[in-house]
Amino acid sequence: MKWLQKLITWARIKSPWIIHFNTGACNACDIEIVAALTPRYDIERFGILLKGTPRHADVLMCSGPVTRQIRDRLVRIYEQMPEPKFVVAVGTCACSGGVFKGCYNVKGGIDAAIPVSAYIPGCPARPEAIIDGVVKLLTSLQGAKPAPIADCGLQNADCPVGGQGAACPDLSGRRGGCSPQKAGLE
Amino acid sequence: MAWSLFNLLIFPGFLFLFVFGLAMEFVDRKLYARLQNRIGPPWFQPFADFVKLAAKEDIIPEEADSVMFRLMPAFALASVVTAFFYIPLWSTQSLFSFNGDLIVVIYLLTIPTLTFFLAGWHSTSLFSMIGATRTLTQLFAYEVPLFMAILAPALLAGTWSLSEMTVFYDQHPAYAAFNIIGLIVSLIALQGKLERVPFDIPEAETEIVGGTFTEYSGRFLAMFRIAIDIEAVVGASLIAAVFLPFGLGLGAAWGFVFYLVKVLAVIALLALLRTVLARLRIEQMVIFCWRIVAPAALFQLLINLILSGVLRP
Ligand code: SF4
Repeated sequence: MKWLQKLITWARIKSPWIIHFNTGACNACDIEIVAALTPRYDIERFGILLKGTPRHADVLMCSGPVTRQIRDRLVRIYEQMPEPKFVVAVGTCACSGGVFKGCYNVKGGIDAAIPVSAYIPGCPARPEAIIDGVVKLLTSLQGAKPAPIADCGLQNADCPVGGQGAACPDLSGRRGGCSPQKAGLE
Repeated sequence: MAWSLFNLLIFPGFLFLFVFGLAMEFVDRKLYARLQNRIGPPWFQPFADFVKLAAKEDIIPEEADSVMFRLMPAFALASVVTAFFYIPLWSTQSLFSFNGDLIVVIYLLTIPTLTFFLAGWHSTSLFSMIGATRTLTQLFAYEVPLFMAILAPALLAGTWSLSEMTVFYDQHPAYAAFNIIGLIVSLIALQGKLERVPFDIPEAETEIVGGTFTEYSGRFLAMFRIAIDIEAVVGASLIAAVFLPFGLGLGAAWGFVFYLVKVLAVIALLALLRTVLARLRIEQMVIFCWRIVAPAALFQLLINLILSGVLRP
């Protein structure tokens, strides 16, 4: 039954339906997610559809830090999704808590509440970065290595974080990101 | 026995409808994307969606009636596939036919809508119940005009059998031109039956998340989706058989080509409607159907009554 498994993996990669959930973002990340859904970016090319209910979705897109109030709701929505399910944290806040880290009402990043499969940094993350993040997450299902991030072409002196070896703040795939091998993250 | 099994499962039956339904869903989505200046999904997209959904976990909510929840998708699928057998496709002869099969086909096409209602109702979730009541409200608005619009050509032909009707219109192709109002009415009603924009009020995802299908996931959702795809094909075939009875006497091969063209044309028109219009509110929809669509269908009936007196004394 190997071919059946292959077919199912193929179908999962080709048809990721997403649901968007704001866990406490400043709304900029949400606007970028909405922008990614517009005809300009045409994510239906990759089979991505926005769904209204967690029961239909494969990918939960969370934006923003997890506040104390939203935590229970986030966990419930996550539990309502059928297996196999993935969580994508969109924006720096969703990755780590970002600028809200340490607030009295903030628990931290999405991974403070539920397991996260992919992190998309950026404040806010660009639509290209979001699409790239979802596509990379799904290709990683295949066991294939994600495509390397494009070289930014900046010389060491121009690099905002001090050149090769330092962690690049923007690994999201848009121009300006250092390749992860070069940045020493792999 | 073997032949009817073949008919049921493979050729005009389930497998053919499955492939045809998925292909038409692709055509619809691609056209929709192209009309929005997008590239649109690749050709295998509906198939990938189906396989993915079929391989997902199915959750049956604790509160839901588990028997009804499981049965309804199968009912929807079975009724649309059955309806297909009574429609003449590429010749004037359908697979099975008897006097009155027109009514049977219309009723079989109503069953999916009722299963949507029951499925939503028995999911026992707030959103799906709102969706379910909207499904029924909408059903009463478009069903009557659809009945009248499809019965009008039958009146002119003087028969209640779809096959005999196509024979009649094949002999008098010019008479089909009298049914143009009925064609428009039934296109609008079919759009309502398929619950697509502007009549996607029962599953308006911006208001009531997923409507009737809110609680459905995995295999059951896949079955509902394929049932809706097949319903689109069957509805388009019905409109093609009733209102566009051309090229039926040219043999199987040409007949099939003509049939494909007619179904594609209906699907393209529906996709166009979906692109240029926005969702109505439920009461706007009901008012539109009763004030404009139903009188138009009545007018069509009147025309055909007078014509049948004049032309078939
Ligand atoms: S990452 Fe930036 S844009 Fe996104 S929610 Fe946080 S502060 Fe707002």
